[in-house]
Amino acid sequence: MTTLDTGGHTPDGLVGPEEPPKRADTARTVVRGIGELLITAGLVVLLFVVYEVYVTDIVSAGKQRDATTALDNTWGQPDTVAEPERVERFTDLGEGTGFAKMHIPAFGLDYGFTVIEGTTEKSLEIGPGHYRGTAYPGEPGNFAVAGHRVGKGAPFNDIDLLNSCDAILVETHYSWFVYRVLPKSEEVVGWATGKGTDPRCQGVAPLGGPYEGLVGQQIVRPSQGEVIAPIPGKVGAESSVGERATLMTLTTCHPRFSDRQRLIVHAVMVKQWAKDPAKPGETPPELKETS
Amino acid sequence: MYAWIWRHLPGPLVVRILTAVVLVAGVVALLMFVVFPWVEPKLPFNQVTTE
Repeated sequence: MTTLDTGGHTPDGLVGPEEPPKRADTARTVVRGIGELLITAGLVVLLFVVYEVYVTDIVSAGKQRDATTALDNTWGQPDTVAEPERVERFTDLGEGTGFAKMHIPAFGLDYGFTVIEGTTEKSLEIGPGHYRGTAYPGEPGNFAVAGHRVGKGAPFNDIDLLNSCDAILVETHYSWFVYRVLPKSEEVVGWATGKGTDPRCQGVAPLGGPYEGLVGQQIVRPSQGEVIAPIPGKVGAESSVGERATLMTLTTCHPRFSDRQRLIVHAVMVKQWAKDPAKPGETPPELKETS
Repeated sequence: MYAWIWRHLPGPLVVRILTAVVLVAGVVALLMFVVFPWVEPKLPFNQVTTE
């Protein structure tokens, strides 16, 4: 049973037609304005995600293409060096100049990026950037490269999926250098009888001596710059150039969309192929390891 | 806010719609090409190097 609320509306109690609607209008305008601002803010944030994940990709793809074209032109120029000494020279590389190409066949045949000198924001927009002061491809020491994981071409998007012994090929003017990811921490014990028996793992084994404890993948704090040292993890631990291993290190952000940590992949050089001037376009067999 | 802008757009409906579209496109372009590139390195998303 309900009672209809009919009381309380005496003619005197009727609200005046002038004042309160105006007040309600102002309140409505303010509330609506705030609502519109909030919706706008939400749209701007969404737009930023689109920018970060897609638009930067398009911009970077253009820059990467330009860098690759420039590098191909440099390599295509007739040799000024006499034939017998087809040796790499990485001197006087300006910030933002492409000097090598890297391929990871495990990510597909089309995975190739021109590596850029330097790791400034600008350089990393073009492609993976070489830490200045670290070794160059094929040199003893640590060839260290940083790359974006989200947007800007995201060259290192999937490097967390690299397995031990996966090939990372670095192509320079005269050579192909084959690096392979070092054993992961859980594989080190029993490597010789376990994964190490895989024919692809030839030349890959847990390193000893000053490199003791170095594994294929690690997650570190952003401040741990020692991962790109010639002996990763040991700054100042000098070793003569002769006994240095030839390593490659990739760094990117971790987890995705965060800069809380860094994902690091270490690889060791197992082979070098000299390009045959008589057979341009010849690629090493490692490039076909797509699975 | 948007109603206020709409009321102040001159011309007939079609012109108003076109003006509104151009305004929105302008704001989006300003965000994409000026604001976002400036603000992006300041945000903790995409630092990939170690120090």
